[in-house]
Amino acid sequence: MFLSKIWFVLVALFAGFALSIALTAPRPMAQRLEELEGQRLDRAQYATEQMLKVDAHKWIDRVAKLGRDAVLAEALDGASRGSGELAVQHRTVQSRVMALLPDLTGAGISTIVALDANGRVVARVGEDDKSFGESIGGAEIIDDALRGFLSDDVWGAGGHLLRVAAAPVLSKGRDRVVGALYVGAETGDGFSERLKKNLDVDIALLLRGKVVASTLPADVVGRLPDLIEQHRTEIESLKRTPALPIEAGNETYLAVAAPFPGQAAQQQAYYVLIGKKPARADLPSLLASTSARDLGWASFPWISLLLTIAGAIGVGLFLQRWEVDRPINRMRGELRNLIRVDGAKLDDHKYPGGFGGIAREMNAAMEHIASLGGLSGAHAVGGAAHLPSGDMPAAGSAFGAESHFAQPARGLAGPPLIPGLGAPPPPAFAPPPTLGSDGPPPLPGALPEEDEAHVREVFEQFVATKRECGEPVTGLTIEKFSQRLRDNRAALMTKHDCRTVRFSVYVKDGKASLRATPIK
Amino acid sequence: MTTPKLSRRLAPLPALLALALPAVPAPTWAGTVHGTVRVPDAIRSGRMNQGYWRLENGNVPVRPSTRKPGTVVVLEGISGTHPPPPKTVSVEISALNASPRFVVVGPGSVVEFKNTGKITHELSIPADPTLMPIERLNAGTFRHQKFGVPGGYLVRCAEYPSVAISVIVVDSPFFAIVDDKGGFSIPGVPDTKATLKVWAGGRWAHQETVDTSGKQDLAIRVQAAKGAKEADVKDAEGKEGDDSKDPDSKGSAE
Repeated sequence: MFLSKIWFVLVALFAGFALSIALTAPRPMAQRLEELEGQRLDRAQYATEQMLKVDAHKWIDRVAKLGRDAVLAEALDGASRGSGELAVQHRTVQSRVMALLPDLTGAGISTIVALDANGRVVARVGEDDKSFGESIGGAEIIDDALRGFLSDDVWGAGGHLLRVAAAPVLSKGRDRVVGALYVGAETGDGFSERLKKNLDVDIALLLRGKVVASTLPADVVGRLPDLIEQHRTEIESLKRTPALPIEAGNETYLAVAAPFPGQAAQQQAYYVLIGKKPARADLPSLLASTSARDLGWASFPWISLLLTIAGAIGVGLFLQRWEVDRPINRMRGELRNLIRVDGAKLDDHKYPGGFGGIAREMNAAMEHIASLGGLSGAHAVGGAAHLPSGDMPAAGSAFGAESHFAQPARGLAGPPLIPGLGAPPPPAFAPPPTLGSDGPPPLPGALPEEDEAHVREVFEQFVATKRECGEPVTGLTIEKFSQRLRDNRAALMTKHDCRTVRFSVYVKDGKASLRATPIK
Repeated sequence: MTTPKLSRRLAPLPALLALALPAVPAPTWAGTVHGTVRVPDAIRSGRMNQGYWRLENGNVPVRPSTRKPGTVVVLEGISGTHPPPPKTVSVEISALNASPRFVVVGPGSVVEFKNTGKITHELSIPADPTLMPIERLNAGTFRHQKFGVPGGYLVRCAEYPSVAISVIVVDSPFFAIVDDKGGFSIPGVPDTKATLKVWAGGRWAHQETVDTSGKQDLAIRVQAAKGAKEADVKDAEGKEGDDSKDPDSKGSAE
């Protein structure tokens, strides 16, 4: 049993350890995955920033190149000096720009605007290309371009984001600024899709607390403006946010937001990079996210697991057999042998652990039974209950007759209980037929008269039956017989909590035997 | 007859005057507080909102900005002075230009924002939207806004943030608008200790306690706003624009 217990403890410890790992390991793993996703978004944000910067330079180069066109320079110079018709200059500039850049949409351009040196619009190509003549001087990038700077900016007007780049237009002699050109690059859904394609993250663009473009559905990005607003101070100082979780239905996303540069920064214009957060670390979520592929033979160590389980069961069964079944079988065999061998005892040294204890207890029990006196050698275990004289009834017969205990209660009603006699014992006590005495000697002890008569009657029947069976009765005295019956009676009354015990004589295997019947 | 009597009566007067004079506080002499304010390049360049790039064209020298930086120095905490009286000041917004771009007024003054251009604006004070909530200002319309509490307010257009007007409400007559070279001068300041505050770049950018009795030039260096993006290329007018003198170095800019 010791090894079985050790094995049980080991298996339980191992199972507990494995369960603990199974429950705790996903959490740090999920945190690590979340960190990695956050880092991926950080890198994507850096890449976006670089892309925007490179894009801005590209647009500046493009508009600067456009501004070097002689036709445009001449037209804008005339407009700045106020010579000629503005409408004519408008058409001239517009047609020239369209000739130089025939496919604005393909180039990702929303609008190109040409201005004279006073900041007055001479011509537009793209959006709102019919209007001209109004001044947009005062816009920082326009003022800069008219001073001679090439620069970029991001505008957020009319609910749209526009990345703009502006450059001065120099006179033919390249000695003065005669106007400016600015180009507005599309910064909406197309821009978001392009970013998503390049960076493999979802994008949302925010302007003045609204999502103006997104590659994700509205229910996912709907909470973004409020979330970003809560981190506004952080964005102003760090120019970005940490990875922020967004709950949308059953999915959780991580978002990193950064502000657009330029005057759009004053309009809460942000680009937000969004990635899906790894699955939750709790057991139901993990199980829910388990796919058939995860449980395939190639990805799950089924063989190792089955071998381990089979090994654990095999070792457990072996130890069970070795420490439990085997001693029990051996004890049963030995007990069977003991029944046929008088005076033998169980060899408790052969039995391990608790079975040795059981063997000792059984030996003690048998010794006790023997000390009480056997009523029948046939019923005593291993013959240990035989009377030392070989004639006295074994007390064990009383216990061996326990199977008849169901009848004694009914026996009180009258039906005969003693096999072989066919009738209840007579109430009167007859003297023994032969014991070499003249009359019935008084019984020792303080038995009631009725019981004393019963003992004498049983004694006479017992002696008679022994004679009938051809058994010797030498040494069988009423005193010894009565003493044994009293002892057995007392033991049985204690054991069965009965009022008294009645004995009867019967023949078993050609020998006289006694049967004890407790009377409630 | 009367002269000797009068002489006798007036004889104790000098002594009484001599006793009474120490009880009256001695008059403090007013002086001029002057100095220079050096603001960050982003403010001097005239471009508050930078993009990624700002490059010179390489052919023509870059012209200085005509836009005034709008730096104001205010002395506060001088007892016994009265704030400027309230008045109504008009600010015209034409296209994407506001004129003037900053005003200094006393408490209770009203600023009238007139949209004389064709573009609709949405003016508000983003830092204090309860005082001046966002409201559309269509072309040809105006909006009145009263400023009762001393302080600095930046009124900005939500659609075109380059349209920004600084309203500085002072409760002291001692203030000056910094000239293009960064110099300022506040005359008539009593000798005392006062708090000097500098409004630059649409915010209170500097504050220090000064002793106005000192005659030395104050040299004030304004730090860039936290997180502010510096221009990749400094403005050619690194000396605050030498060619655009501002004769009005004191008083409101209206």
